[in-house]
Amino acid sequence: MKNRYSQIKNLKRVAFSNTVDSIVSLIIISIGITTLLTLSKWMIFSANWSVVSINLPLFLFGSFPNDQLWRPGLWISLFAIFSLITILGPQWSWLRKSLLLLWISYGPLGVFLLAGGIGLSSVESQNWGGLTLTILLTSCSAIFSLPLGIALALGRQSTLPIVKNLSSIYIDVMRSIPLIAVLFFGQLLIPLFLPVGLEIDRVSRAIIAFTLFVSAYIAEDVRGGLQSISRTQKEAGEVLGLHPFQITCLIILPQALRVALPSLTNQAVGLLQNTSLMAILGLVELLGVGRSVLANPEFIGRYIEVYLLLAAIYWILGTLMALIARHLEQQLTLEKKDL
Amino acid sequence: MPPIIKATKLTKSYSKGIFALDNISISVEPGEVLVVMGPSGSGKSTLIRTFNGLETFDSGQLNVLGIPLESQNNEERNIRRIRKRVGMVFQQFNLFPHLSILDNITLAPIKVQKRKKMEAEQNALSLLSQMGIASHAKKYPSQLSGGEQQRVAIARALALKPELLLFDEPTSALDPERVNEVLDAMRRLAEQGMSMVVVTHEINFAKEVGDRILFMDSGKVIETSTPDIFFLNAKHERSRKFLNQIKNK
Amino acid sequence: MKISYNAIAQLLIALLVIFVICILINNLTLNLIKTGLGFSFAWLFRPASFALAEHPLPYSPSDSYAWALFIGWLNSLKVIFYSLLLATLIGTCVGLFRVGKNALLRIVSAGYIAIIRQTPLLLQLMFWYFVAILGIKETITSPIGDLLSISNQGTNFLGIKLSAEFTSLLIGLSVFTSAYIAEVVRGGINSVQKGQWESFRSLGLRESTGLYKIIIPQALPAILPGLTSQYLNLAKNSTLAIAVGYSDIYAINDTIINQTGRPIEGFIILLLSFLFLNLLISNGMELLNSMITKSNNP
Repeated sequence: MKNRYSQIKNLKRVAFSNTVDSIVSLIIISIGITTLLTLSKWMIFSANWSVVSINLPLFLFGSFPNDQLWRPGLWISLFAIFSLITILGPQWSWLRKSLLLLWISYGPLGVFLLAGGIGLSSVESQNWGGLTLTILLTSCSAIFSLPLGIALALGRQSTLPIVKNLSSIYIDVMRSIPLIAVLFFGQLLIPLFLPVGLEIDRVSRAIIAFTLFVSAYIAEDVRGGLQSISRTQKEAGEVLGLHPFQITCLIILPQALRVALPSLTNQAVGLLQNTSLMAILGLVELLGVGRSVLANPEFIGRYIEVYLLLAAIYWILGTLMALIARHLEQQLTLEKKDL
Repeated sequence: MPPIIKATKLTKSYSKGIFALDNISISVEPGEVLVVMGPSGSGKSTLIRTFNGLETFDSGQLNVLGIPLESQNNEERNIRRIRKRVGMVFQQFNLFPHLSILDNITLAPIKVQKRKKMEAEQNALSLLSQMGIASHAKKYPSQLSGGEQQRVAIARALALKPELLLFDEPTSALDPERVNEVLDAMRRLAEQGMSMVVVTHEINFAKEVGDRILFMDSGKVIETSTPDIFFLNAKHERSRKFLNQIKNK
Repeated sequence: MKISYNAIAQLLIALLVIFVICILINNLTLNLIKTGLGFSFAWLFRPASFALAEHPLPYSPSDSYAWALFIGWLNSLKVIFYSLLLATLIGTCVGLFRVGKNALLRIVSAGYIAIIRQTPLLLQLMFWYFVAILGIKETITSPIGDLLSISNQGTNFLGIKLSAEFTSLLIGLSVFTSAYIAEVVRGGINSVQKGQWESFRSLGLRESTGLYKIIIPQALPAILPGLTSQYLNLAKNSTLAIAVGYSDIYAINDTIINQTGRPIEGFIILLLSFLFLNLLISNGMELLNSMITKSNNP
């Protein structure tokens, strides 16, 4: 009884402390209830979820050959399994130690499972699509852009003027161009800069363009991390007789990356969202599938169902990525602590 | 035996007319403990930081462990040769926060002296127990008190088996009750015959452990005396004034 | 010795970069010869021969490509400018709610920020265009006469007609950017020391007076840089106009490249437009910044 009373008092304190507050709170509550009622009424009576259930394989795997669906299926399940392991935190230290390696190999593994080779029949990249392609674009671009971004950040701090200036120009120019332009011109221009006769598919071109773009942003985040490390750390390395290269790799960079981790995670989530731009540049990733489903006369006008589904998937994936990044860092430091 | 450090007419100025080092000549003999004292901004830190190439100087000659250091543009390899043989302990400890205590100590032996990991770790553990903190080997710097961190820093410097140790105000950042545990460790090192240059304000340490006191002000050496003379009967007015000030603190 | 080592390293890197650029240019030339197009800007003055739904200045298909690009540039500027105002307004409100006293408002604004920031902008734009605007069945009029009315044909605001494309782009960009601006505002306000809140409260000032007179002036220096980078992002994001069929500089450039088949020239034009646009925004913010610092320290 006393507990209930203090709850009411608490509610009064946080939302009804004076007249203006009370009016605002009442308005919010009524809007909230109306929205909830309208939404649930729509969900139950008006929504037609067959557009989702019929097209589910399309949303997940694109137009991947039917008899080979286990390949993208396995790859996506591995994502779920890896995430679970990372978040729960395994007891065995060997598994914890190899978590980072597991995630790094996830992108290349996907390329192998989708494209085929060594024992698997090959599947053209035109047939890749849906959630599978979204995750593939994200993971591959992330893996390539991290080292490039770190190199650019170190380049921008270099004492060699030519390295410093080239890195700065690259970073600043890339950061001033809209992503869609980089992707569009990536599709058009990358073939023009390749030797005559050499052709690469649209997915690779997209990954190259994403890598070139994202690495400029990662470079600035890493540079922020580098600048946050006190000069005395460098001195402490110097008086121990370490080589400048060793000081950078063993002392400065590990600390800088840890500082930059939250913003790097934001970049990764941003990358995931931005892969949706490929939907208007000729790839049928998640949003692309949504567009093609909505263009099908059978499902015309089912915008809200499809958009809600897509928003939910992007939201869950993004939240999951942030969670994984946080837990991965914890697991890796834990590993050192009980050495 | 030749002196460990031989400095002749070292001069350095940050801006015109203001000298960090003003015509300093000094030598440190093997096994000697030289205590450098003086008010803040007197150039003490600058002086010992030139001894391992963290600071450059404008003119004069400097020779550390038989290796000459030029005033400018030293070859990096030369400086590293000195640093491998000269340890340094900083005021703010400067441990590597992302490495465990053990890794902090074994990093340089493994990466610079290319010693085996097992051997380096055994050596690190024996150094830690010398410092009385062997039980902390697997912890991280942030889990230790200031005094413990500073003793780790000393162990880290010792791990390279240096021929000279430089201390830059090693107890100034510590809580008063933690000062003695660090000074005791330094005292034991001196008893073992380690050559040391110590910048400090600790009068008792200087009296008991110091072989010579070097008193600096405005970049100049005001006087060099044995502790007995310096603390009881300082030759210079400025030295006496300084001693009064820190005694009254 | 040290200097010469650096010089050699630099020379090697310079040679490597030049070598790579030469290979790329060589490939480009070969490819351009193969397509038979070459490199030229002469086409800029040929008639564009496509229609534009929206043009702030007179335009007809017989006008030149250059004029079409300029119209596109003005269209970009227009949507960026209005979105910037609207996003700042919404973002500031949400940011203030986020640190305000009312717990319900705090929760609602946190939810708003989480949902908006975790879903792709392109998806949001499509939602605003296809569902929110084109989905309107009857004209919605504001309670106060002719102030504002929205239909699937667009918006009528104080007698100014705005197209459906412009309206949805405006709403989409503003809502998306406002979530980021809200976080910038919150960060800025949190950067003011807690003691400042306590001291104005102890002086008996009202919460709102203290916020506007004490806290916000101190938070502004921390807010402005973040705001600038959000405005720059807004400008870059405005190129997603192509998804809802609004003719901004990027969309028109895209059409022109499809017609002329000249991606290199198109890329250079777009790059220059955006370098100019970024300069405009960052200089404008610089001016604002200096005005604020001046008025803070007279």
